[in-house]
Amino acid sequence: MRRFVLLLKNEFVLFRTTIPVHIIGIFQPALMFSLMALVLVTPVFDMQVSTPGAAIDNELVSAMQDVRSPIGPVYINPILVDVSPGEEIQGGQLIEFVGNEGERTAVQRFGLIDSNMVKNFRNRLTSAALVLWNESLESKAISIKQVPWLPEDIPYSVYFGMAMMPLAAILASALIGAFLTAQEFEFNTIIEYRLSPTPVYIILGSRLLRLSVTGMLSGMVLMVVVGITTGIWPSSLIWIVAILSVVALIGGSIGILAGLILKKVLPAFLIGLALSFFTWIMGSAFGLAAGFSGPYEAVSRIMPNTYAVELLFPLYYRVEIGSKFPAILFLSISSLFVVLITMLTFQKTVLNKG
Amino acid sequence: MRRLWIIFKSEFKVWRHDPITAVGGILPPALILIAFALLFGGRLSFKVAVVNQDQGFLGNVLKQSFDEVNSPLNNVPYYQAIDMNLDDAMGAYESFKVEGVWVIPPDFTQSIEAGKKPDLHMYFNNYNDDRAKNHRIYSAEIIWYFYKQVGYPDPPIEIAETYPLTEMVDWVPVIAVGVALLSVCLGSIFNIYALTHKEQISRMTLEFGLAPRSLAWVLVPKVALALIFGLFSGTLFLVAIYAWLGFWPGEFIWAFWLLSGLTALFWIGLAIIFGLRARNYMAGAIAIVLTAIIVFFIGGGLGLIRYHAEDVQWYSWLFPNTHAIDPIRDLVLFNTWPVDWNITLFKLVAFSVLSLSIGVIFTTRQLRRLG
Repeated sequence: MRRFVLLLKNEFVLFRTTIPVHIIGIFQPALMFSLMALVLVTPVFDMQVSTPGAAIDNELVSAMQDVRSPIGPVYINPILVDVSPGEEIQGGQLIEFVGNEGERTAVQRFGLIDSNMVKNFRNRLTSAALVLWNESLESKAISIKQVPWLPEDIPYSVYFGMAMMPLAAILASALIGAFLTAQEFEFNTIIEYRLSPTPVYIILGSRLLRLSVTGMLSGMVLMVVVGITTGIWPSSLIWIVAILSVVALIGGSIGILAGLILKKVLPAFLIGLALSFFTWIMGSAFGLAAGFSGPYEAVSRIMPNTYAVELLFPLYYRVEIGSKFPAILFLSISSLFVVLITMLTFQKTVLNKG
Repeated sequence: MRRLWIIFKSEFKVWRHDPITAVGGILPPALILIAFALLFGGRLSFKVAVVNQDQGFLGNVLKQSFDEVNSPLNNVPYYQAIDMNLDDAMGAYESFKVEGVWVIPPDFTQSIEAGKKPDLHMYFNNYNDDRAKNHRIYSAEIIWYFYKQVGYPDPPIEIAETYPLTEMVDWVPVIAVGVALLSVCLGSIFNIYALTHKEQISRMTLEFGLAPRSLAWVLVPKVALALIFGLFSGTLFLVAIYAWLGFWPGEFIWAFWLLSGLTALFWIGLAIIFGLRARNYMAGAIAIVLTAIIVFFIGGGLGLIRYHAEDVQWYSWLFPNTHAIDPIRDLVLFNTWPVDWNITLFKLVAFSVLSLSIGVIFTTRQLRRLG
């Protein structure tokens, strides 16, 4: 135990030799969230509309104000423009009115935009036109009673920040783990471990514990930034610490493995970076995995981030999305598995060498 | 010139010793592209339960509408509607197996026929406002189609649309071009670090500092090789995009190389500042690479920005990627000459000259002073 404590102390002292790397590893995900949160999709779209020429055109523009969340923002911001025929379309789309009174059509002219943008513009125009159609149908119109899950629509940035917390933990621990381990080979200090009588679980245990704490800290920094920017905080700090520590343990193991196998700082960093971002995007980064396609959901089921997000979700939204047991089981087994693989690799590449 | 060629050849050998770093512009972007293809390239229909309690026939017509109204996004229905009874539907909804529940009441047909304002209940998940918005505006597409199907009186105003191409460009190709530019940038960054790593390990920076000749002999081959490998990475990506999605810049390939090359030079200029400084070498590498990835996300990597310029934050415009990305998409996806070619080229030249000048001057001063 004394050896373990000494090694652990040494691991934390190593921080002083690589302060810039630690600062970047810990704070860069929070910076990434801060910058990205401002460019995330918002429900409000500017829509260019050519100057109305008939009464019904004006009614359509007015109806755009009714395309909205009853508990949130308006979805269309109509911008009236004077456009000559054939003139280039500003803003990606333009609604023009054609036809005589009584046979009027709102034609949506698109510029060179992608299908997702077309979808967004099309749905909004249909919604506005449907408002008028419903009014004209009077008692025959279908009324949709909306029953949202939560009392208010939660800004996307809350989910996005929450789902980035496992990325922060994995990224920091993987990068620092890869860097420290590969550096031992480059500076040939790995020989000290080779000559040491200390068992592998003590050597790696101290490093993994320190990486787990570092990764968890990175996730916590992001938690604070998300809390400050959105005003939404998790309901339990202990759960946050536990979840982030486990995913950071996985990230740290991946980083150490990359360092042990590649023995060079740059490629080890490259692998840690690539895997961190891949597990983030595949691990419910942009929405709960169940809401996407089958292949995406299937692959996301082998990503620790998916389970971490499922455990974080109730802490942020105060609602359960099923049993916690599968997520806890997956994270426990996968973390034990990667730690075991790391120990075996360390044994093979360091202790048994020569 | 011969000296330059000798240095160039010797630098080239670095890649044999570190082939993984040499593909730094390929591996992370490839994984990012695969992840986004799985995320946005598959069927993005909202999975909802439809509880049809209607005792007439119109409930079935409505239910059928869910399968027949296609989204332009990947040309699949907006909804993946699953028939369920109320208890199962609410159970699936509460355990997040479906994103919403539509309940068609028993008197739906009767109410429509009697003109008694029929009600539908739409339960949906609003854990993020974007998906909540989609539930609301997708429902309009369903109801619009339903009205047409059952022969309601015509709407007071019809809707129609025109698209400038015969085939609509999907979201994944838009992202793929963003990733190709990221690939050029990361390829250049990783390779400039690979080319300076040897000097870091063997402390050769002191020799550079004491060299009687200009340090340009050292820096020019490194910059040129990093740029070549960055462009090579990006071109590989373009070939992959062509094979997978069918988009290729054709005769505009040189324009792609020019715009992405100038963008990469900006990153090389930033990277070289840390590349030859031992103390902050790895911190610099991590910071620059992560910054390049962040710029991919905030600088139009995931979507066209020309039509949303007002939503792009000021700090995104501080990087050349934001200026280059849509003109590059014009070349690759739409095979058209960018309308803003001249101004884009001017900006990218300015970015790269500024960054390289600062990078080279700063690096030279550091090497001469510290070794």
